[in-house]
Amino acid sequence: MGMVKERPTGRVGRGLRIGKLGLALTGSYLGYQFQNLFLNEQERPARRKSFNQKAARQVRAELESLKGPVMKLGQILSTQFHFMPEEALSELANLQMRAPGMHPTLARAQFKASFGKSPDEVFRTFTEEPFAAASLGQVHRAVTKTGEPVAVKIQYPAIRKAIEDDLKLLRSAALPVRLTGHAQESVFAEIEQGMLLETDYANEGRNIDFFRKQLKTIDYVRVPSVHWDLSTDRILTMSFVSGEPLLDFVTNARPSQAMRNRIGAVLVELFHLQIHHLRALHADPHPGNYLLNADGTIGLVDFGCVKKFSPGFIEIMRAFEDRVWLQGEEHCDRMARLIWGPAILKKARVARELLKRAIHFYGMLFPGLTGGGRVVDFGDPKILKAMFRIFNDNLRNKTVNPEFAFYARAEMGLYNLLHLLRAKVDTSAILEKFDANPKSLQESRP
Amino acid sequence: MKTRQKRKDPRPAKAPGPGKRAQNKERTKKEILRAALDLFSKKGFFRTTTKQISDRAGIAEGTLFNYFKTKEDLALYFFEQEVAGLIEWYRSQAKLQKSSLTEKLFAIIHRHLERISPYEDFIGAVYLRALQPVSRLNPLSLETQELNLRYLRFIQEVLREAVEDEEIPKLGDFGPYAFGLFHLATISYWLQDVSPAKENTLALLDRSLKVGNSILRRGTWEW
Repeated sequence: MGMVKERPTGRVGRGLRIGKLGLALTGSYLGYQFQNLFLNEQERPARRKSFNQKAARQVRAELESLKGPVMKLGQILSTQFHFMPEEALSELANLQMRAPGMHPTLARAQFKASFGKSPDEVFRTFTEEPFAAASLGQVHRAVTKTGEPVAVKIQYPAIRKAIEDDLKLLRSAALPVRLTGHAQESVFAEIEQGMLLETDYANEGRNIDFFRKQLKTIDYVRVPSVHWDLSTDRILTMSFVSGEPLLDFVTNARPSQAMRNRIGAVLVELFHLQIHHLRALHADPHPGNYLLNADGTIGLVDFGCVKKFSPGFIEIMRAFEDRVWLQGEEHCDRMARLIWGPAILKKARVARELLKRAIHFYGMLFPGLTGGGRVVDFGDPKILKAMFRIFNDNLRNKTVNPEFAFYARAEMGLYNLLHLLRAKVDTSAILEKFDANPKSLQESRP
Repeated sequence: MKTRQKRKDPRPAKAPGPGKRAQNKERTKKEILRAALDLFSKKGFFRTTTKQISDRAGIAEGTLFNYFKTKEDLALYFFEQEVAGLIEWYRSQAKLQKSSLTEKLFAIIHRHLERISPYEDFIGAVYLRALQPVSRLNPLSLETQELNLRYLRFIQEVLREAVEDEEIPKLGDFGPYAFGLFHLATISYWLQDVSPAKENTLALLDRSLKVGNSILRRGTWEW
């Protein structure tokens, strides 16, 4: 198998090599993005317009489509570097883990460079036009020599190096704020690790294996299987998952309200299943990553960005479900500490306010648990609005636990999907199901 | 290919009425080149002696000199073969000829790199040599002009297709020269590229061609 060895990382000053050969053109991931501003003429007017929009609206629009590590980056920048101009921030926040498209010749060349053989030698058929964009690359259809239809994800060449260079540069640029303690070294390390992990398709393959194993008893979800013999760290070959991307499904298949509700319920259940049982989250709630079939089953794709939660975080979720805030002040403090970190307790008033809003929001999501109506209408934008407000409050108060931020982003993605579906879901029933039978899935694990 | 009939084929073997002697001569030259390349790729350009080359090719060392006076002549012959091979390959790619200019130009350089990749050390040595003003490999030497011209005409033809398809504005003779320089620069970069499977070169090639193409489409340097 043509697995390429990991590049040595962490050598001091590598980030400063960007300009060395005058190759900022390929040496920088930000450079790609910057270049794209000029290359893509259609987007220009839209971007210019977005420069003039109010910050809040920008954050909102962007968060809907952001991907994990970059969101962390954008978020950290917006919280830590609040002296940066708004326009620069919004452009940074706009970064996605996207790579330039590859024409067939380049896609073949990159496949061969990474795998050692050209796709035409390896597969029975290989469709040279990609059928989807993916994190840092694109996906092609192919059929294996044994006749199995597969999806082949190919990474854009040298993108890992480009991201590494940017991170090194960012570290250098941020040295003053790191020295003054306004930005923590650990935060940088986390951003870096997350972003680099996403460039390793072998890691994504392991994530797929994990989800496939954990979700194999759930009949409404389909997870691809990895063809490890046809994959490298830059090539990922998976069994083909059928279905239509959520947005297309809604526009083309015109599902009935009952079907929308059913899909919505499945999405909510899938989300809580991950939190409660897998303790990991498929954290890329982009509508394109949910492939719907006419029978209402959902295919999950793109596992580049998976978050495995700490026990502390699971405790936060439990605390919400048990409504510990009813049990007294000290429980509230503990909860605040878990969500926002110990520093929050120095700002007791802020902590109380943030917690109050979080609890109120929880009540909106699960009215059935607090004696309200059962069904939540996600077509009503009030849930999304409330969520954005909480998110912005957190940003403004510079109080974001990275793990919680990650979760919040995934959750926001979910509500966005449900909003697009205009689904009406009895959320409380789903949560009660988990409460009634909390161990069922864990026990079924081998 | 339709186009090929119009053009004079560069290889003497297929030129009208070559004598048997000329054919044999060409075959021997190719055999010598194959032997030399094999040795270059194993031992390196500088450490390979003419004696070793003639031994490998199964001819007397004196005979070798009848064909190639120096290793430089051999290198020149190699490049002639490369350019001819590249042009022939391009003309056989029906699908490629229907794709965008960016992809065509990418494919030409990439194919070239693929062809020469077994002889990286040799190419590197030749590059150093070519920098010397007295070298016959020098881009300004009269010996290389013929080769250059063949290459430039080929690129001119590729660019003309794009002009006809209104992909880019007319470039005159500037186009092939500029691309030729870019081609050379890419090879220099490729020679020094230590990234896994030289993927940095792929990225450089792709991005540069896209930017170049985008500038041409606008017909201006201003972004």
